[in-house]
Amino acid sequence: MTDTATSTASEAECPASDSTLRVLLVEDSPVDAELILLELRRGGFEVSSDLVQTIEDFTRQVRAHPYQMILADYNLPQWRGIEALGVLRREGLDIPLILVSGALGDVTAVECIKQGATDYVLKDSLARLPVAVRRALQEKRLRDQRQKGEKDLARKVEELARSNRDLEQFAYVASHDLQEPLRMVAAYTQLLAERYRGKLDADADKFIGYAVEGAVRMQTLILDLLAFSRVGHNGNGGKTSDCNRVVEEALLNLKAAIDESGAVVTQDALPLIVAEQAQLIQVFQNLIGNAIKFRGKEALVIRVSAERQGTQWLFEVADNGIGIAPEYHEVIFTIFQRLHARGEYPGNGVGLAICKKIVEHYGGRIWLKSEPGQGCTFHFTLPATPADEKDIHASRHN
Amino acid sequence: MPPDTIEILLVDDSPSDLDLIRDALAACPCQGRVHTVPDGEEAIAFLHRAGVYASAARPDLIILDLNLPRKDGRVVLADFKSEPTLRSIPVVVFTTSHSRKDIARSYELGANCYVSKPGSLEDFRKAVQAIQQFWLSVACLPD
Repeated sequence: MTDTATSTASEAECPASDSTLRVLLVEDSPVDAELILLELRRGGFEVSSDLVQTIEDFTRQVRAHPYQMILADYNLPQWRGIEALGVLRREGLDIPLILVSGALGDVTAVECIKQGATDYVLKDSLARLPVAVRRALQEKRLRDQRQKGEKDLARKVEELARSNRDLEQFAYVASHDLQEPLRMVAAYTQLLAERYRGKLDADADKFIGYAVEGAVRMQTLILDLLAFSRVGHNGNGGKTSDCNRVVEEALLNLKAAIDESGAVVTQDALPLIVAEQAQLIQVFQNLIGNAIKFRGKEALVIRVSAERQGTQWLFEVADNGIGIAPEYHEVIFTIFQRLHARGEYPGNGVGLAICKKIVEHYGGRIWLKSEPGQGCTFHFTLPATPADEKDIHASRHN
Repeated sequence: MPPDTIEILLVDDSPSDLDLIRDALAACPCQGRVHTVPDGEEAIAFLHRAGVYASAARPDLIILDLNLPRKDGRVVLADFKSEPTLRSIPVVVFTTSHSRKDIARSYELGANCYVSKPGSLEDFRKAVQAIQQFWLSVACLPD
């Protein structure tokens, strides 16, 4: 082991108490070592120390003990104290090292700091040592805190990502596995209804009807849940979608409802957006579909528009329908949240939840402005593509 | 259209679905002879005429569920589509799954067609009859 010049902690294995500073001295002169310790004590430190002279001893000591500080002479007979930094790096140890040297040129000093020394103190101004040590310890504390913070954050991000994956996997598997037995219930209650309608009694027909209805509703719930959990599963590799086409597709899908309601849908020139077309279609289709579903007494007018705001586009889907009271403006984006009895307006309360999930998946936000009886305007943002100043003109139509 | 009876191998572990499929198949005038096996291992034995299936007919069409006990439908597909004497038999994957992954994988393994089992009775029947109509009347099959 080492030539231990001074060891206030006789049991080297036992970590020093909080107030005691554990120092490893790399020093060939016992007198200088004594002076260094004296200076530290004078500066208010309680010190326990070990003294080493060779690189082998140094390596052994730092491996074996948790030192808080290394004070190394620059010029030693067989090696230079600066080499200690290389040992610390190789060993993966983060212990502040201050060079204490008889003479150290400016160039050498700078080189030492570059190599990772925290500071250097000349032997003829040892009085500065306690200040240097205190600052080195403080820096190390901050470094530790930051590293711990970063590690905690990384762990939380990983936990969150895993829990997200688990949840989506769960929704996906559950909906798939639920579908099979449910299909059996649905098909066979339908078969019962078909073969035995009017052959049992009126109650039986009614009960079978309820069972069929329940099974069918459950099926749509599961398909909706599946669609919801699928959002974000398919990246599109940065492809852009033309929102003019997107809205046209959405309107085509809604053709029957539009014809039946007599809705007039107007559409401004819309931009290109980096997003999967099918998902954008779903957003517009759900919003326009809602406008049609919740129309009021007067002729329905729906206006789709977009406005560039800095790095994003603000989209609007505005209608003159029955409107939504402000207290519901947040909850309506929750999955399976409905505001009306099933008999009044059909639906499972999934459409807006899917819109929100899609918009947020692409880094946007969705909200609405509405009062009962005053119509309803849904707003959502999506990041602008860098080149879309000219694209909006290129894609202008009608 | 070959003069002989069309042999259909139906691979499905769900008795309720087998009933529905057989029911729907029977409703059509172009029906063939239907053989059923309940899992992938038996399907493979049937196709290779192994064990009790030594004198089994060579199917003209296979209707294959994906999620089966023992060996699942993907294993069955991989097995007989890599067998030169069997790979020409057309196979329709008929399964509950709508998963894009299942669809892609099935075609990769050589499925000739992928149909999701519809949820309602009416659509289910229509799907089975469409499969039957297409493969037994519209499509030309190898001898």
